[in-house]
Amino acid sequence: MAGGHIQITDLSKVFGDVPAVNHIDLEMVSGEFFSMLGPSGCGKTTTLRMIAGFEDPDSGQILLDGVDIRRTPPHKRPVNTVFQAYMIFPHLNVYENVAFGLRRQRVGKDELRRRVGAALELVQLGELAKRKPQQLSGGQQQRVALARALILEPAVLLLDEPLGALDAKLRHQLQDELKTLQETVGITFVYVTHDQEEALTMSDRIAVMSHGSVEQIGTPREVYDEPATEFVADFLGVSNLLSAGAVSGGAGECLLQVGEFTLTARGGDTAARGQVKCVVRPERVNLKPADAPGPNRLPGTVERLVYLGSAIRAIVRLATGQTLQSLIPSDGRPVAFEQGSAVQVELPADALRVLTGGGRAVTPHAEDVLSDQLEGAADA
Amino acid sequence: MTPRRYLLALGVPGLIWVVLFVTLALYSLLAIALGGLDPLLLTPVPAWNPLDWSTTNVHLVAQSLQPFSGDTWVVFQRTCIYILIALAGCILIGYPVAYFTAVHAGRWRGTILALLVLPLLVSYMLRMLAWVGLLSPQGWVNAVLVPLHIVLSNFGWLDGRAITVVSGLMYGWIPYFIIPVYAALARFDTRYLEASRDLGAGTGSTFFRVTLPMSRQGLLAGTVVVALPMFGDFFTNGLLSGVSSTGMVGTLINTYAESQTNQAVAAALAVWLTVFLAILLLPYLRSSARAGREVGR
Amino acid sequence: MSSRLRHVCWGKVGLVTIVVLYILWSLAPVAIAFLFSFNAGYSRSTWQGFSLQWWTGSKSVFNLPIYTDAIRHSMLLAVLSVAITVPLGVSLSIFLSRWRGITARPASFLATVPLVVPELVLALALFFLVTKVNLPIVTLGTSGQVVGQVTFILPLVIVITIGRLSSIPTGYEEAAQDLGASPPQSFRLVLVPLLQPAILASAIVAFAVSIDDFVITQYMSSTSSTQSVPMLIYTATRGGATPALNAMATIMAVTTILIAAIGFVLYRLLARREQIADAPAPALAVTPEGAR
Repeated sequence: MAGGHIQITDLSKVFGDVPAVNHIDLEMVSGEFFSMLGPSGCGKTTTLRMIAGFEDPDSGQILLDGVDIRRTPPHKRPVNTVFQAYMIFPHLNVYENVAFGLRRQRVGKDELRRRVGAALELVQLGELAKRKPQQLSGGQQQRVALARALILEPAVLLLDEPLGALDAKLRHQLQDELKTLQETVGITFVYVTHDQEEALTMSDRIAVMSHGSVEQIGTPREVYDEPATEFVADFLGVSNLLSAGAVSGGAGECLLQVGEFTLTARGGDTAARGQVKCVVRPERVNLKPADAPGPNRLPGTVERLVYLGSAIRAIVRLATGQTLQSLIPSDGRPVAFEQGSAVQVELPADALRVLTGGGRAVTPHAEDVLSDQLEGAADA
Repeated sequence: MTPRRYLLALGVPGLIWVVLFVTLALYSLLAIALGGLDPLLLTPVPAWNPLDWSTTNVHLVAQSLQPFSGDTWVVFQRTCIYILIALAGCILIGYPVAYFTAVHAGRWRGTILALLVLPLLVSYMLRMLAWVGLLSPQGWVNAVLVPLHIVLSNFGWLDGRAITVVSGLMYGWIPYFIIPVYAALARFDTRYLEASRDLGAGTGSTFFRVTLPMSRQGLLAGTVVVALPMFGDFFTNGLLSGVSSTGMVGTLINTYAESQTNQAVAAALAVWLTVFLAILLLPYLRSSARAGREVGR
Repeated sequence: MSSRLRHVCWGKVGLVTIVVLYILWSLAPVAIAFLFSFNAGYSRSTWQGFSLQWWTGSKSVFNLPIYTDAIRHSMLLAVLSVAITVPLGVSLSIFLSRWRGITARPASFLATVPLVVPELVLALALFFLVTKVNLPIVTLGTSGQVVGQVTFILPLVIVITIGRLSSIPTGYEEAAQDLGASPPQSFRLVLVPLLQPAILASAIVAFAVSIDDFVITQYMSSTSSTQSVPMLIYTATRGGATPALNAMATIMAVTTILIAAIGFVLYRLLARREQIADAPAPALAVTPEGAR
C-alpha cells in the first residue's frame, strides 16, 4: 500500500512561553514503524497531536503524501489515532465503537458488518462484539481502539503511548502483536513512547527527542550503538560515560587521555578535541585478568557483581576514579572475577564513541568527576 | 479551526441571553434608580446615558437610611435582626441534622436524605399555607397550647407578630441550609476523626477541634444560600403577618414597586441592597470563584 | 470505661432525637394541609369531618376555573421554561468549559449573577427592562414570565452541567473527530449521550424551581390569566379561600415529587449504564436560591 509518507518541516509549538516543539524536521517513510522516543515533556506527544490535528502548529509544515494538512481539521485528515487512555466511547458497545468512523462514511449495511467483523478478527476480539467497554480489560480496550482506527484504512496510524497502562507481561505480548499487525497491514505507524525498550523492539526507525528538539534519528541499532549525543547515549540503554581529553587523532581515530592512560577511540566524533565525553556500552566492556595489560585497557577493581539471570553485571571502579559497568553473558562457566578482584578493563577502540556537543542539560552521573584530572593531561 | 467556530455557535445564544436579560436588566434597574420622573404621568423614566444620571432617588434612600433616624434604617435594622435570629435557628437545628446524616446515618442515609430533600420539592407557598392554617386562632397550634396555658385563648399568631415571621423564615429556608452543609460534611473523611481519637482527644474535643473547623466551608455556603433570599423576602411577612410593622427590606421594596410613582425609590433601594450584599459577600464570592475556576478548567 | 461509653451513646441519642423531631416538624404541617383538603366544612384550620367535596363536585378544585386556570398556567410556564433553559444552559455550559479564551470567565460570572442577588432585585430589574424598553415578543405576561424564569433557572443548569462536564475528558470528542465525525456530529453522538444524566438532572431541577417560583412570576405577570399556582396561593391564603386551595397546592406538590422521583430513578439508570462516577444527587450539586 503506497501512501503514508509524512514530511515535517520546521515545526514549532509554544505553550505560553514554553517551547514544547522547537523547529523540528522529521520524515516518516511510507509503511515504516516510526517511533518518537523521549522523556515526558520532550514534545513527542505535542508533535503527534499536531499531525492528528488537535494542536495548531505555530510554524512549519506537515506534508502527508505531498499535501499540506496543516489547515485541514482533524475529522478530515486521513490519519487515525490510538489514544493513551484509549477513549473508547462508554455509551457504545464494542461493535458500535469499531463501526463509529465507518458510519460517518455512509457505507452500506452489509459492507459495514463485513468490515467491522474483519477488523475485530484482526485484533482477535471477534466474540466480544456485544460487550460494553466497562466489561473489558485494559488489553482488550486497547485492541478495540486499534480496530476502531484501522478499520478506516488510514494512511498513517498514530499511537500515543498505548501500552503505558498495562502490566509488563501484557505489554511485551502486545508489543509483538502490534509489530506483527503493522507488518500485516503495511501502513505507516507513528508511535510515541518514553520506554526505550519498546522503541528499540518495535521500530524501524527512532527519533530521540528532548526538550522540544530531535537529538538523533536512526535505526534502533544506530541510536543504541552509535549515539550521537550524550542525551541519546544516556537515554538508551545503560550508558557508560567516560570523561576524557581528546588530544590528537588520525584518520577516523582519536587519541584520548584518561588520567595517565591513553585510549584510542574509533567511533563517533573522532575530530573533536579538548574535554569530551565518550560512551561505551556495557556489553562491549571486557574484563581481563589484572596481569594482562594492553592497548585500550585500564586497571580497575570489581566493586560489585549483580546476577541478572541471563547476564552478570560487573560494576568496576577504574584506577582513575570513574565507575564503569560491564555486562558479562552467562555462558555456564563460572565467572573469573569476584568482588574486590583487580582487573584490566578493556574498551575496544571501535566500541568507544566520542560524543558531540554538550550544552544540553543531562542527568548527572556519579562517574564523571574527571574534570580536575584532565588538567594534568599532557599536551599533544 | 472549525471546532472553535462550533463552540462559539453553541455559546452565542446563551451569551446573548445573559447579556440581554441579566446585564441589560440590571442596567435598567440602575437607570431607573438614577433616572427622573415623568412630569405628566409621574412615572419613572430611565436615564440610559450615564451623563443623565441624577442621584435624587438614591440620595432620598440614603437619607432614609440614616442610622437610627431614617425610616428605612428601622426596616433595615429589623431585617438584619430577623435574619440573624432565623440563621441562628437554622444553624442550631440544621447543623446537627446535617452532621448526623453525613457522619452517623449509616444505612439510613438514603432515606433520611430523601426526607430532607422532600420539602424542597414542596412549594414554599404550600408550606406557608400549611402554617397559616395551623396558626389561625382556631387552628391546631392554639388547640394544643391553650389548654397547656402557654398562650391565652384565640391568640393571634398571624396578627403581625415578629416571632411568627422569624419562625416562618426559619421554617421555610432551613431545608436549603441543610443541603450544602450536608454536602460539605459528606466529603469529610472520617479518618480525620479516627486520627484525632487516636491522638488522645475525647469526643467533645474532637468535635470542636476537628469536625467544626472542617465544616466551616459548608456552614458558610449554607448561610449564603439562605441569607440572600431572606434579604429579598416579602412574601413570608405577607402571608404570616400582613402588616408592615414586621416587614423587612423586601417588603419595603415591594410596596414601593407596587405604586407607580415610587417605583424609582424601589429601584434605588434595590440598588442599595445589592451593593450592601455584594460587599458582605465579596470575600466568600472570591474564594468560591477561585475554587470554581479550578473545577471548571 | 463504661461511663465514657454512656456519654457517647447519649450524644447519639440526642442527635437522633433532633433529626426525628426535625423531620416531623418539617413535613407534618404539609401533611396536615393535605389532610384539610378533605375537610367537610369550609375551614382550613378547624377539622370538621371528612369529605371529598373539594376534590370532586361543584366546589372542587377541578371545577372552578380560578384553580384550573392557575394549574394550567403553572404547567405551561414549567414546560416552556424547561424547554428553553435546558438546551440554552447545556450549550452555554459546553462553551464556558471548553473555550480557551478570555471571554469565558466574565461570561461565567455574568451567567451566575442571578444566584448572588435576591430574586426580588432580579424581578424588579426584569420588570423595568420589559416595561421601559420596547422588546420584540417579550412583554409582561406569559412571555415575560417565561423569560424571567429562564434567566433565574439558567445558573442552576449551568452549575449542574459544568460540574458533569469537568469530569468528561475532551479526549472523547477528539476521538470522535479523529474517526471522521465533524464537530457537530461529535457533539450529538458523543458529548450529549455522555451528558444525559446532567441534562436530566437539569430538567428536573428546572421543573421544580419553575413550578414553585413566585417573585419573578408575579412581577412579570399581567392579567389574571397569567396567574400561577404560587401567585394564587399568595393572594388567597389570608382570605376566605376554601380547602380547595389546599387541594390545588397539594396537586402541584405531588406532581413535582412524582416527577423528581421518576427522574431520580432514570438518572440512576443512566449513570449506571455508562458507569461514570455517580455524582451526588442533583440537589446537592446545586445551591438553589429558589425564593418562593
